[in-house]
Amino acid sequence: MIQLQNIHKRYGDYVALDDVSLSVAPGELVALLGPSGSGKTTLLRILAGLEAADAGRVLLNGGDVTALSARERQVGFVFQHYALFRHMTVFDNVAFGLTVRPRRQRPGKAEIAERVHHLLAMVQLEGLAGRVPSQLSGGQRQRVALARALAIEPRLLLLDEPFGALDAKVRKDLRRWLRRLHDELGMTGVFVTHDQEEALEVADRVVVMSRGRIEQVGSPAEIYDHPATPFVYQFLGNVNRLDCRLRDGRAEMAGLSLEAPGHGGVGEVTGQAFIRPHDLELLPAEAAEGAAAVVSHVSLRGGMARAELMLAGRILEAELPRPQAEALALRAGAAVRVRPRQARFFLENGWSGAEPAVAPGYLGDGI
Amino acid sequence: MTPARPSPWPRRLLILLAVVLLILFLLLPLLTVFASAFAHGVAAYGAALADPDALSAIGLTLTVAALVLPFNLLFGLAAAWAVAKFDFPGKSLVITLIDLPFSVSPVISGLIFLLLFGLQGWLGPWLAARDLRVMFALPGMVLVTLFVTLPFVARELIPLMEEQGTEEEEAALMLGASGWRIFWRITLPNVRWGLLAGVLLSNARAMGEFGAVSMVSGHILGLTMTLPQQVERFYNDYNTVGAFSLASLLALLGLLTLVAKSLLEKRTPTSGA
Repeated sequence: MIQLQNIHKRYGDYVALDDVSLSVAPGELVALLGPSGSGKTTLLRILAGLEAADAGRVLLNGGDVTALSARERQVGFVFQHYALFRHMTVFDNVAFGLTVRPRRQRPGKAEIAERVHHLLAMVQLEGLAGRVPSQLSGGQRQRVALARALAIEPRLLLLDEPFGALDAKVRKDLRRWLRRLHDELGMTGVFVTHDQEEALEVADRVVVMSRGRIEQVGSPAEIYDHPATPFVYQFLGNVNRLDCRLRDGRAEMAGLSLEAPGHGGVGEVTGQAFIRPHDLELLPAEAAEGAAAVVSHVSLRGGMARAELMLAGRILEAELPRPQAEALALRAGAAVRVRPRQARFFLENGWSGAEPAVAPGYLGDGI
Repeated sequence: MTPARPSPWPRRLLILLAVVLLILFLLLPLLTVFASAFAHGVAAYGAALADPDALSAIGLTLTVAALVLPFNLLFGLAAAWAVAKFDFPGKSLVITLIDLPFSVSPVISGLIFLLLFGLQGWLGPWLAARDLRVMFALPGMVLVTLFVTLPFVARELIPLMEEQGTEEEEAALMLGASGWRIFWRITLPNVRWGLLAGVLLSNARAMGEFGAVSMVSGHILGLTMTLPQQVERFYNDYNTVGAFSLASLLALLGLLTLVAKSLLEKRTPTSGA
C-alpha cells in the first residue's frame, strides 16, 4: 500500500507538483501518464526518495517514509536509460544490491550467486551473465536493469519510462512480458509513461497528470470511455475538438448540429465539444442531413479508413470501416456530408455533458 | 560542356603542405634533439647523463613531480566530482578558477609566488623570522609547479563525468549503497582511465615546466636545478651534448605521455549503459 498525501514540489518559480494525493493498492500496477512537464517523473522520484517533496507525506505499507533516504526505502527503481554500471558484468550489476549490504545482512557468496542466476533466468538472460552492458541490446539492458532492481526484494517497483528508449517491436514484446512478470510476482508497481497506448495496455489503473496535477484516476476503460476533463479527452486517443454553443437543448458547432437533451431549458452557453473520429458519420454528398465537407486526405489502417475532412475551414478526422469508405468512394477532393453520432460537451457553466447527445433520426451505419 | 572532374591537384597540394609543415615543425626538431644528443656517440650520451649536475637535476625533477602528482590527483578528482555531479552557487566561478593557471603566463605565476613568499614579499619576513625557506628551495618549486599543473586532471575529468551523468550513482543509491561505496565502486571506476590520462598529462607538464620554476628556483647548481633549467645551463655553457641528452629525456617523456594518453582514451567507455 502506497499513499502520497498532499505532495507539493517547486523548482524556483516552476510548480512541478501542486497538492497531489494518490494511493496505490498492494499488488497493483499503476501508470502515471502525462505529457512532458506534467510532473509524473517528479512524482516517481519523490516516491523513490531521489527528490524531496516541499510538503506532503509518503507512506509505504502504512509507515511514514517521508524522512527516509532513497537508500533506506528498499524500493526498486528502473531508470529510463537503464543506468547499468558500465564497467561491471551483468552478474555484478544484478548482485550489486546484495553485495553492498552491511556485513550482518549480506548473504554468502554462494547464496548471492544462486539468487543472481535465479533472477537472470527469470528475465531470460541466463547465458549473458559474463557480458558487460555495452555488449547487450536495448531490450536486454532493460531486463538486466529490472533483474538488478528486483534483487533487493523491493517493497515497491518503480519504472521511469521503461520502454521509452526501445524500438517499437521490442517495446511491444517487453510490455507484454512486464505485465506477465508483474502478474506472477504480484508486486506493487508504478511506472511513468507519456504513451497512452502503453498505459492503457499494461496498467491496472491509470493516473493522468497535467501541469503538476492529477486530472483523472481510473481503470483504462474508465479513462478512455469517460474522460473527466477536456485534457484527458485530448490526451487519450484522437479526438476532434470544436467550439460549440448550446441553446434550448441543441448544440451548434462549426456547422454541425446535435440534440443535447441533457441541456434543455437553460439559456445560451458556449464551450467545447469533443467528438471521437469514429463518432463522425459520413454521408453521400446528396444526403439531406449533416453538413457539407470536403475530403482532404484518406489513409488506410488495417480494416479502418481514416479521412481528413475540411469543414468550414476546420480540419476534422473521421474513422470508418473500409467497406463503408469504399461505398462512399472516399478520396481526396470528394464532397461528403458529415454529422456527429455523439459528442461530449465541456461548457463554461461547468456542465460536462454527462449524457452524450444523440443525433436526430439516427438510423445506424447503413444510410 | 560536360562538367570536368575536379582536378586532384588542389587536394594533393594541401596534403603536401600539411606533411611538409608537420616534418618541418614537429618531426625535424624532435629528430634534431636525438641526433644532437648522440652526435658524439652513445658513450658521450651516457657520460652526459651521468654528470653529477645532470643526475641531481633528474633527481630533483622526479622529486617535484612525485610531490605534486598526488595532490593534483586528489584536487582534480574532487573538483571534477563537485562540478560535474552537483549544482551549487558559484559553480561557474569554480570552473573559471580551475582554468586560471592555463591563462596566466608561467613566468607571471612564478613572479606571484615570489611576491608572496620572497624576502620582500608579504609572507617573506614572517617566514624568514622562523627560518623557513620557501623561495629558492624545494617548497617554492613544488608550489609553483602545483599551481601550473593544477587544471590538468580536472580538465580531463569534467567532460567525462558530465557525459556519464548521475544516473548510475542514483541506481546504486536505490540499491542501498552508501555514498562512500558509490564513489569507490561506481564513480571512480567509471573515470579511472581518464584520471590516469590526466595524471600523465600533468606529470609531463610538471617535469617540463621552465618559466615558473625558473622564477623561484634560484638556479643553485646541483641543488635547485630541474631538468629544463639544467638543459638551459648546459646549452649556455656550450655543452651541446649535455643539453641535448637531457632534452632527449624530456622529449621521450612527452612522446610516451601522448601515446599512453591516446591508448587510455580509447579504453574509456563513453556510453556503456
